[in-house]
Amino acid sequence: MSDVKMRGLTIDGRTVRAAEGTSVLKAAELAGIAIPHFCYHPAFEAEGNCRMCLVEIEGLPKLDLACSTIVREGMIVRTSTPSVLRARRDVLEFLLAEHPLDCPICDKAGECKLQEYYDRHGLFPGRFVEAKEKRDKKVAIGKGLVLDRERCILCTRCVRFLRKVTGTGELGVFERGVRAEIGIYDGVPVDNNYSGNLVDICPVGAITDTDFRFKTRAWFLRKGPTVCSHCSRGCAVIVESVTGYPLGEGQRKVFRIKAGENASVNGTWMCDLGRAGRRDIDERRLVRVMSNAAPEEELSWQKALADVTAMIRAVPGPERSAKIAVVLNSRLTCEELALAKKVFTDGLSLGKIFFADPKPGAADGLLLTEERMPNARGVLQSGFAQLLPDLDTLMAAEVLLVFGSHLLEHFSEEAVFRALAGIRSKFLFSAHASPLDRSAKIVFPVAVPAEKSGTYINIDGLRQSFGRAVEPPLGVTSELEILGCLASGLGLNRGEPDAC
Amino acid sequence: MSYALSAATLAKIEGMIAPYPERSAALLPVLGAIQEESGCVSPEAEAWVAAKLGIRPIQVREVLSYYTMFRRKPAGKTTIEVCRNLSCTLTGAEDIIGFLREKLRVGPDGTTADGRISLVTVECLGNCDHAPCLQIDGTDYGRVTKDMAAALVRELEAHD
Amino acid sequence: MIEDAVRLIPADDSSWRIEAYLRRGGYEAARKAVTFMAPQDVIAEVRRAGLRGRGGAGFPAGLKWSFVPQGGTAPKYLCVNADEGEPGTFKDRAILVRNPHALIEGLIIAAFGVGIHQAFIYVRGEYASIAGRLEEALAEARAKGFLGRGIFGSAFGLEVVVHFGAGAYICGEETALLESVEGRRGQPRLKPPFPAIVGLFRSPTVINNVETLANVPLIIGRGADWFAARGIPKDGGTRIFGVSGAVRRPGLYELPVGTPLRTIIEEHAGGPPDGVAIKAVVPGGLSAPVLKPAELDVPMDFDSLARAGSMLGSAGIIVIGDRTPILDVLEVTARFYAHESCGQCTPCRLGTSWIHKIVSRIAEGKGRPADLELILDLAVGMKGRTLCPMGDAAAMPVHAIVSKFREELERTVIP
Repeated sequence: MSDVKMRGLTIDGRTVRAAEGTSVLKAAELAGIAIPHFCYHPAFEAEGNCRMCLVEIEGLPKLDLACSTIVREGMIVRTSTPSVLRARRDVLEFLLAEHPLDCPICDKAGECKLQEYYDRHGLFPGRFVEAKEKRDKKVAIGKGLVLDRERCILCTRCVRFLRKVTGTGELGVFERGVRAEIGIYDGVPVDNNYSGNLVDICPVGAITDTDFRFKTRAWFLRKGPTVCSHCSRGCAVIVESVTGYPLGEGQRKVFRIKAGENASVNGTWMCDLGRAGRRDIDERRLVRVMSNAAPEEELSWQKALADVTAMIRAVPGPERSAKIAVVLNSRLTCEELALAKKVFTDGLSLGKIFFADPKPGAADGLLLTEERMPNARGVLQSGFAQLLPDLDTLMAAEVLLVFGSHLLEHFSEEAVFRALAGIRSKFLFSAHASPLDRSAKIVFPVAVPAEKSGTYINIDGLRQSFGRAVEPPLGVTSELEILGCLASGLGLNRGEPDAC
Repeated sequence: MSYALSAATLAKIEGMIAPYPERSAALLPVLGAIQEESGCVSPEAEAWVAAKLGIRPIQVREVLSYYTMFRRKPAGKTTIEVCRNLSCTLTGAEDIIGFLREKLRVGPDGTTADGRISLVTVECLGNCDHAPCLQIDGTDYGRVTKDMAAALVRELEAHD
Repeated sequence: MIEDAVRLIPADDSSWRIEAYLRRGGYEAARKAVTFMAPQDVIAEVRRAGLRGRGGAGFPAGLKWSFVPQGGTAPKYLCVNADEGEPGTFKDRAILVRNPHALIEGLIIAAFGVGIHQAFIYVRGEYASIAGRLEEALAEARAKGFLGRGIFGSAFGLEVVVHFGAGAYICGEETALLESVEGRRGQPRLKPPFPAIVGLFRSPTVINNVETLANVPLIIGRGADWFAARGIPKDGGTRIFGVSGAVRRPGLYELPVGTPLRTIIEEHAGGPPDGVAIKAVVPGGLSAPVLKPAELDVPMDFDSLARAGSMLGSAGIIVIGDRTPILDVLEVTARFYAHESCGQCTPCRLGTSWIHKIVSRIAEGKGRPADLELILDLAVGMKGRTLCPMGDAAAMPVHAIVSKFREELERTVIP
């Protein structure tokens, strides 16, 4: 790092220091000055086609692009002179000339760069009275994405993304001049695991996702940053949800997941698998404690957990390691795993501690890993071995605690039920409804990772702590609280207040 | 691939590709050779060229749709291109165009009903001292008068 | 008048073959350069001669060559710009047809000076039917050992490829030309980097116009001083002026740099036909802002025309007679640039189209007074803001027509 040469320059009267090779746009950003732009994206080389980032550089006869001009020692940049403001206004006027007045029905409203910049740098009466070019407004380009050619400002971010990031190049630019348009080749739609990023990077509402189209408004969305839990990459993501208005009172819906920024992990991208994980947060959720003996009864998890504690206590100490089995999963946070260690290994001296996780898949060469759980390294660091249970071992237990429903991915329902049939006290701690529910004595609804705070260790050994991105449904609790309460109930929290 | 070009064109294409440091650079000449033989560049041809040059079909179409001299659909057997730029307009190009449109009775897409002749207007052909000028299948005609235009049409219509 | 021996365009059509070219001293300059001169000296001589680019931009040729890093074994390229799409320009065509060897000899010398072993001649697609002579001339040169390996028995080798365009005016812009040679949409590149450093196939590249290169044998053969003396300071040699439109003798006139425009139109091209007065003159191809009759005494050199608010450009002179409504000129201009815009950058893509739509509406009889001011404003909004110089080329002529012929245009819009 010490070898990087720094350059001093002045931007709007402010002295700024930036590393050699930095663009004026980036240097300004570091100094807290936002220069408007459409086609520039930090992940790509400067493109220079939108012309929105033109600024004044002393000594040069014309305005120059901030995105492609590299800082020089002593450079003097001005980003708000009358000629710069006029240039911005003109770019907006040119773009809006052929842009449809779709704001009332466009998904991008509220997070659209054209809107934002018009609000800040435009506010002029329209002078275009000609007939606008008529173009296709609903071109299906693949993976549920829809292209509206009237809205497209030809920044070509989408084309460049598919050429440089995924290397798949499904989008191209056809025709020329004002007739230029973006599209796919017949029969070769966008088909890669990063298609969702096209919606994120489109500065306007030209590319939208049918999954999100017309469902809500950007300004209703609460943004909850967290870490994706669908593989071990640990991409920074933003869960965007609405709780209450304009949904019904107490109703909650996660509308989409967007990529967050993390230079050490995912840059500015995330994969479609992670995006599809939004369904995980809302769908098939267990929301009440269910006792199969008394299915109508309204139980609090604390009271129900007392049953679990009692069953565990009922097994004499020396017999516990033979008669009590636990199946954990690698979606548990480091904090939860530490507690599990404290309770099951240190506290109860159990040996039959297993892990049931989603099966591995194919890595995609970019972000998606083979492992499809977020915290395998956390599991290892906690001192656990990630062993899949064998059903015979489970069968021999008298008390079984199962966290998660992934057992069914590894064994047939029939085999699992047969194995579990003879176990007297079976307790399930799961977020999603599954056939396992009816085999358990008590089912505890737990939170999904987006509803928790904690730490994951990703595939590169990076520890990432995250906060709660979205509130869990009423009645749903986390494994952290459950394990804490178990610890209290088992007398392992000597001197500490009751954690139930 | 079932798409087939003549042996002569195939040989010509090999010769075109050879001098370029990168195969894909030969795209424009190769498309020109295909259009010369087939009259246009069809989707089958796009796929063939893409495979031949190691690029994606979409890249072929991007180029095809950018340059005005390439055709994706067949045009008339003969194409008449009349310049409409400044020197030609100053010397009566619009009259020639109007005259030819009437004489040939071309449809809105510029082609005669029997598909034999296409009439299109183009920008500067670089023959301005012979304005008004036109090209018939790439051959230049200058100082075109209505009589000359009529004679050219007669000749074209006679020839098949 | 220019002596026959040094005319770039011979008076008759029969002296294009290599035997005729050799008889008038052809390829002696190339032999001199390749066998006796150091490459740096070739560049220095061309610099001293004051040869400015004849494609439109007027950049000093020798200076451009000197930007290419010397030495090394990595490939470098020469591209000959024979795209000649600037309306009103037809001089390079004449060189290709009547004096192709002057071009070939010029590019041999240029390639030798810069250290280039492969040259591409980018010929616009519309010239395909007349390119036969160029291809034959190249074969003739190769047969004599002037191309290929071991030129004039030296270690210098050069291969030439003819690459046809396919109908895109913008490919006359040097970086768009490079994109086209590389088999892509001919869209201009962001500069920097400049082609001398990152050009064709990412290698250092020189791009020169046909006429520019055709002058090089004269510089090396007769010396920089001789060449410089034929023009004006810092702008040496002759120009081939094309004259078309409302004149009695449209054609090409090779004259010293700095010849007054009026002299070219009236003395050489015979002035307008009987009964027609000059309304306006485009001095340097359609992209050069129009001049009114009172402005025609301007010397035809880069600086004088720039001072007059126009440009020498490609020296394509188009004479507009007083029988032509200026609206027609405006329509042709607006339509041309809208048609040729590559579409990459906002101001050009949308500005040319918007201006064209307004002008078309005026031509249909539905113009409004505010339209003229709006056109001027849009032109100002494009000038200096675009990715390549075509933005200015589109904006400035339109601006000149509307501001200089405001009164006439105001009569075409509904009050």
